[in-house]
Amino acid sequence: MKGQWLQRTTLRVASLLAPSDQRTEWMEEWQTELWYIPQCHATRFCLGAFPDALWLRRNRSEGDRKRTGIRLDSPISCLAVLAACAALSIFLMFYVLAPRLEPPPPPGARGLANVSMGMLLLSCLLMPAALCVWRAPADRRAVPWPNRLRRTIFLVLKIVLLQPVLLCGFLSQAALGPLGGFIGLGFNAAVILALRWVITDQQHRCPVCLRLLSSPVVIGTPSRTFLEWYGTESTCSRGHGLLHTSEIWSSYSGQQWLCLGDSWSALFVKGAGRHL
Amino acid sequence: MADAPRLSHTSAMMLQAIAAGHIYGYTVMEVTGLPSGTVYPALRRMERDALIRSQWERQSVADAEQRPPRKYYKLTRAGEKTLEASRKRYPLLAKLVATEEVEDV
Repeated sequence: MKGQWLQRTTLRVASLLAPSDQRTEWMEEWQTELWYIPQCHATRFCLGAFPDALWLRRNRSEGDRKRTGIRLDSPISCLAVLAACAALSIFLMFYVLAPRLEPPPPPGARGLANVSMGMLLLSCLLMPAALCVWRAPADRRAVPWPNRLRRTIFLVLKIVLLQPVLLCGFLSQAALGPLGGFIGLGFNAAVILALRWVITDQQHRCPVCLRLLSSPVVIGTPSRTFLEWYGTESTCSRGHGLLHTSEIWSSYSGQQWLCLGDSWSALFVKGAGRHL
Repeated sequence: MADAPRLSHTSAMMLQAIAAGHIYGYTVMEVTGLPSGTVYPALRRMERDALIRSQWERQSVADAEQRPPRKYYKLTRAGEKTLEASRKRYPLLAKLVATEEVEDV
C-alpha cells in the first residue's frame, strides 16, 4: 500500500520509546489497529504512538524498570559503559571541540595523551575531596590478595576511563568561553562529583566478584544506638558475602565485610543477577 | 459509590463509549473525536486502574473475516460503578456517545 512505509517507520521509531520487554506486544497492537484505519488518517493516527509509548515507559512497574535499565552491576558492563562514554568524548574532542579552540591543541595521539595527563593530574589534586566518602571495610583479611588486586585494577580503570569524559567537559567549557568564575568552580565540582561516584560505586561492590551489592536491608533503629548497631546490610547476589554499613561512623562500627562460606551457596540462585 | 474515582470528562466519555459498545481503540477515537495520542494512553491508564480490561480477539473470528485480530476493551464492575458516578457528574454524557449493539467477539 502506497505511503505505508511512512506509517510503519513512524511506528518502528516510536516503538524505541516503549520498554523493550513490552515492545513486541505494543507494536503488534498498533500494527493491527493500523490495518483498520483509513489511509487518509493513518499517518496522523501513527503519531499518537509516541505519547502512548512514552506513557508505557513512564508507568511501568519498578521491577520492570530494574530489568530494562542500563545495568552497571557487572564490572565488565560498568567498564564497557565508561569506555563507550570515553570513546564518545574523544570523538567529540577531536571533531567538534578541537577545531573551535584558540589556540588549537597539539594534534594527534601525543597531544591527546598530554592533555589527558593534565586532566589526570587535576583529578589527583581533587582526589582528597572525593576520598572523604571512602570507608575501608573493617574485615580486610577476609579478602585474599588476588581479589584485592583485581579490585584495585578495576578502580584504576574506572578513574582512567573517566578522564576523557572530564577532559571533554573541560574543553567544551573552554570552547564556549574563557574558564573562570562560576564556570571554573562548576567544572571542579563536576570532577569531584565524578570521582566521588567512582569511590561510592567501588564501595558498593562485592570485593570477590566486583558486582554491585543488592537487596539493601535496614537493620536496627536509630533510637537504640547505645547497645545495638544500626545500618544497612547489602548482599552479594552470588552469595560471596554481606556488607554491613553503619549509619553512624564510629570507632567500633563502620563498614564490615562478612564472607559467607560454601554452606550458604544453596540460598543463592546460580547465575542470579547476571545482567551482562 | 463514594469510593469511585472521579474521572475527567475525557476519560468519562471514553468509558461511556466502551459501555455503549465501541469496544476497539479506533472506534473509541471515532466516537469521541479524540486523537490516538490521547485515547490509547488513557485506555492503558484505565486498564491499570482496573476500570476496563482488555483482551485479544479470538484468532478464529479474525481469520474467518480475513483480518488481523484486534484488542478489545470491556468495562469491569469498578468501571461500571465509576461510569454511573460520572453520569451523575456529567449529565450529558449519555447523549454525547450513542449506544450501539455490542459486537460478538
